[in-house]
Amino acid sequence: MTPADRDAKEASAQASAPTPKPLPAQLLERWRDYRWELVHEAPQAPFLHMALDEVLLERVAAGHRPPTLRIWEWNAGAIVLGRFQSVRNEVDEAAVKRHGLLITRRITGGGAMFVVPGNVITYSVYVPEALVKGMSFADSYAFLDAWVVEALQGLGVNAVYKPLNDLSSDQGKIGGAAQTRKLGAVLHHVTMAYDHNTSAMLEVLRIGKEKLSDKGTVSADKRVTPLRQQTQLSRERVTQAFIDTFRDRHGLSSGSLESTEVAEAERRVEQKFGTKAWVHLLP
Amino acid sequence: MDDTDAMRKGEYKTPGGKLVVVNLQVEDGVVVKAEVSGDFFLEPAEALERIRDALVGASADASEEQLSARVRDALTDDVVMLGFSPEAVATAARRALA
Repeated sequence: MTPADRDAKEASAQASAPTPKPLPAQLLERWRDYRWELVHEAPQAPFLHMALDEVLLERVAAGHRPPTLRIWEWNAGAIVLGRFQSVRNEVDEAAVKRHGLLITRRITGGGAMFVVPGNVITYSVYVPEALVKGMSFADSYAFLDAWVVEALQGLGVNAVYKPLNDLSSDQGKIGGAAQTRKLGAVLHHVTMAYDHNTSAMLEVLRIGKEKLSDKGTVSADKRVTPLRQQTQLSRERVTQAFIDTFRDRHGLSSGSLESTEVAEAERRVEQKFGTKAWVHLLP
Repeated sequence: MDDTDAMRKGEYKTPGGKLVVVNLQVEDGVVVKAEVSGDFFLEPAEALERIRDALVGASADASEEQLSARVRDALTDDVVMLGFSPEAVATAARRALA
């Protein structure tokens, strides 16, 4: 597809994209109570990403860092387990070894993800709890991702949020959100599928019948429809659209990780996130 | 030593919610060890230990109502379970004991 064709397709997609349901004005304006900082570093290791989430959450909670949007770039693939998942229930460890994959565990609940760099878009927002004051936990999920839904709709993806934590479109699930709260701050993060995963995922992740029963699906790879099937745009272009929409709605200035933050995260990789005790917290 | 094989497993997915997996070790008709896991959300995360401990000591003949009461009674008002509930844990536990 030529750039001209791509522009034309994008323009017509925008014309037919549904109008986002507006949030009550006061709730939307809450975002502008804060000066948001963007962190978008060069690719980093999976364990470091896990640790950075904990470090930045604590720093925002303590008021040492402004509320932040962190776009992740992965320098290696990994399986990311939710905080409460059991390793043996979610992965076939023999297959993990065979494929030379890394198993990590994040501090938020939710389900297992299979990450291949280039196939996903991942971000975290670290926000003061005041931003979601008065909302139920369930409502806060949709509220904290409303900007992404708008960004996707602007790209011609008919995106919608499905409770509790599914980012979806009329073509299927795009990604999932997870959240945890600590000391007055909220970590809310999302991984979206940009491109299809390899067949390795089906060998490595266990997707049981019980889990699929409610969704009425029969095969694991049909549960997610990657963005690349729903827009012709590159992963970088989609990521930039997210950043631009966040900036337009909430304000956003460019920042970076402090060297002390990275050093602390590296320490926590050694002492927690990279250890068997943490990864196999629920064996 | 991996005593997984000695543990009985039950799962339950709350419709519109998440999966909870319960592994129970039963000796002499009493739950002596429990594991609870899944893709649910729980605040604070440490409350998982209380849910787990609530199942230990239950009779293998306990009803779902008795099992969910054990879980409910172990949790303080500040605990938030998202995508699952004491009843969901009890259903999964009952399936493990069946």
